[in-house]
Amino acid sequence: MEKQAQGDQVARAARRAVLVDGLPVVVLGWVALALGSDPEQSAAQQAWWIAATCVFALAMAWVLVRAFRRADEYLRKIQLESMAVAFASVLVALQVAAVLDSAGVVELHQVTQPILIGGMAIWHVTADLRTRFNR
Amino acid sequence: MRNRLRELRAARRWSQADLADRCGVSRQAINAIETERYDPSLPLAFTIADVFGRTIEEIFLPDRADPGQS
Repeated sequence: MEKQAQGDQVARAARRAVLVDGLPVVVLGWVALALGSDPEQSAAQQAWWIAATCVFALAMAWVLVRAFRRADEYLRKIQLESMAVAFASVLVALQVAAVLDSAGVVELHQVTQPILIGGMAIWHVTADLRTRFNR
Repeated sequence: MRNRLRELRAARRWSQADLADRCGVSRQAINAIETERYDPSLPLAFTIADVFGRTIEEIFLPDRADPGQS
């Protein structure tokens, strides 16, 4: 019983570590998004936006690599399957958005970011639910 | 693939967390293997066999095998 509680603490600590890694990266993503939201930018503003986006992409890759290295083979499999589900969802959503864009219903550039953010949400929710149900 | 993980673990009075510690994996992984939702890789199967001091064939059984014959 005590050991099980210890194991749960270890799992919670691992989740906290991912949160500690991931939270600054998510904040950086929002900063990059905010910097790029102004359609009429000066060259300096564009340079800041591109720099923030590049740092965000590199930081995201770093967090993912760290998380995958920490995980065991089972958790890695769950993460990869969740990523596959999210990737497929994003592809379908982008395809639908492209069709709606050509029909003049929505503008593709306006829905791209929400679709990507939705894809990440699907990935995390799928992975979290699968690990919760397998306890 | 079926396995005797729960039976062997119970015989040693180990919790899933104990076994997970000894195998160097998460408790969720042990739980998923025990409930046959996940088949371990060959290296992990060897590690589990080493932890129990058995061979892989004594712990993991193919679905087609009759348990009475193994």
